[in-house]
Amino acid sequence: MSGLFSSMAGWGVNVSIALTALRTNLMRSILTTLGVMIGVFSVILAVAVGNGAQVSVSQQIATLGSNMAIVVPEPESEGGPPRTASRGRLTERDGEAIARQVPGVSAVAPQIRNSLQLSTAGRNANTQAIGSTPDFATISNLNVDDGRFLLASDVSSAARVVVVGQTVATKLFGDQSPVGQVVRINRVPFTVVGLLESKGSNLGNDNDDQVILPITTLRQRLATTTLQGPDDISLLFVGFEDEDSLIASDREIKSLLRDRYKVTKGKVTPFTVRTTTEIAEASSEVTGIFQAVLVAIASISLLVGGIGIMNIMLVSVTERTREIGLRMALGAKRSDIRNQFLVEAAVLCVIGGAIGLTLAMISATIFERVADFPAPIGWGTALFAVGFSALIGLLFGGYPAIRASRLSPIEALRSE
Amino acid sequence: MPPPLLETHDLIKDYEIGGEVVHACSGVSLTIERGEFVAIMGASGSGKSTFMGMIGCLDIPSSGTLLLDGVDTSTLDSDALAEIRNRKIGFVFQQFNLLARTSALDNVAVPLIYRGEGYAARRAKARDKLEAMGLGDRLLNTPAKLSGGQQQRVAIARALVTDPLLLLADEPTGALDTQTSLDIMGIFQRLNDEGITVVLVTHEPDIAEFAARRVLFRDGKVIEDEVVAKRRRAVAA
Repeated sequence: MSGLFSSMAGWGVNVSIALTALRTNLMRSILTTLGVMIGVFSVILAVAVGNGAQVSVSQQIATLGSNMAIVVPEPESEGGPPRTASRGRLTERDGEAIARQVPGVSAVAPQIRNSLQLSTAGRNANTQAIGSTPDFATISNLNVDDGRFLLASDVSSAARVVVVGQTVATKLFGDQSPVGQVVRINRVPFTVVGLLESKGSNLGNDNDDQVILPITTLRQRLATTTLQGPDDISLLFVGFEDEDSLIASDREIKSLLRDRYKVTKGKVTPFTVRTTTEIAEASSEVTGIFQAVLVAIASISLLVGGIGIMNIMLVSVTERTREIGLRMALGAKRSDIRNQFLVEAAVLCVIGGAIGLTLAMISATIFERVADFPAPIGWGTALFAVGFSALIGLLFGGYPAIRASRLSPIEALRSE
Repeated sequence: MPPPLLETHDLIKDYEIGGEVVHACSGVSLTIERGEFVAIMGASGSGKSTFMGMIGCLDIPSSGTLLLDGVDTSTLDSDALAEIRNRKIGFVFQQFNLLARTSALDNVAVPLIYRGEGYAARRAKARDKLEAMGLGDRLLNTPAKLSGGQQQRVAIARALVTDPLLLLADEPTGALDTQTSLDIMGIFQRLNDEGITVVLVTHEPDIAEFAARRVLFRDGKVIEDEVVAKRRRAVAA
């Protein structure tokens, strides 16, 4: 069999033959193209949404801070709701012990979390309150746009101060600067000392909808019922000096806590330690699967589009048997005939692919605007889309094209 | 001295249709010299069309030899046969076989596509041949906007665009009225006078009279081969 490029007729000629043939059956060509268009559209959009999820998740992880671990007083679960009976305890003293004994730890930030309502004259905001210490800012890369963060003295004196996120500030004070203003929480007046720098939002989760108070204040004035002891905390952030010590930390923290709570060998550790690296890996795995599933589903429609191409090309070959015979009589080699039909299929697909790509780009833009979800379509994706549709054409147009090229000239010429 | 344009020895073509072998050509030996004008006659089923398919390199003989311009075509592969069809043979068909929705110019240029000629060269040569056929003012007409006679003249221009050695016409007047048929035969005679070999397949005796030599087929064999006694001359339109 001769090579793909051995034919005498140039590709330009084949494209022009293909366009003439496609114009001849315009309606049919449009309908066939529609199949490929929808297929390419859904594959591109699936890739874009998957990429968006990746971007979103890595942004979310970046907002957590780098080189840190989160300790939660819950046994590690393989999915399913955590059982409260098996919930462990975690105290501020555990945090101090970790800071002292685990190598490479730069700081710890114990946390109590609670939902609160903040109110000013005539306005209020329900938000997530985090009770913590000054180190929370260093570990989580929190910065203030205005005012200051918590101070050690705020914590030791259980001061009635609060640092607010942008969303909360806007809800309560509008355009006014919140620093120095007074808010009431459970009718107790608090002074706003700082405004957090915006961390944006990911996957519909607003990172600026939170307030930070001294852990002592939150514990004493705004009682949290789920905690057992006076020293208990909801979770602990552990900051590390560098990535190497972080990687080594998981086991160290766990074994220290097992010792402290006298968990015997063979029993389940009632703590979960998640490092940012683990979270990043797990998340990218999840979003990777998410993307793969999306693309797989979308690919089915592309497959259906491809089958449509094959179907219509077979019809076209049958209808044009006499033309094929004539072209052979005039000197077309088998490879010329094959290429002619391959190009015709590829042209159909590339047109469909280009339209599908355009629609996908428009949809992605709308998606970003309306749903606040990034769906990036890069040049790579665009080129891939058009190339891939040409490939679909060659793949599904291949069989009809080879069939056309194998016709006997005399029989093709005499067919009706 | 160059070899005859066409030489066949004991050419046989068998078909199998529904388990039965049909002997379409059963031993045809024929020589056609350069510059001849031969009419191949016979009723349908006589084997004349099968014979034409083989000398046109559209079909492969079951056995026997076929020398075209001194080359034994029975041993060639499909690509080589395509090249011979392109370079040495010009076909004219009963139904014209022009590409629909394609201008006369582009129709005539088709054979040149398959020898890799560029766009400008193709157009120039096609224009020359169409002008020689008196269709200089119809270059951009599609077949639907041409009369039957004009369509057949476009088809003849297409057959000539590669400057072939042999013009092979299969019932070229079968779809035309008497006057137009006469015009077309006049064109063939003129071309033959200019030196091209013409082989005309027909079942109409009066059309065969335009040729110089008449070969009659029956049951897959040549039963008569004679010089046309009273040759008709047509004045080309």
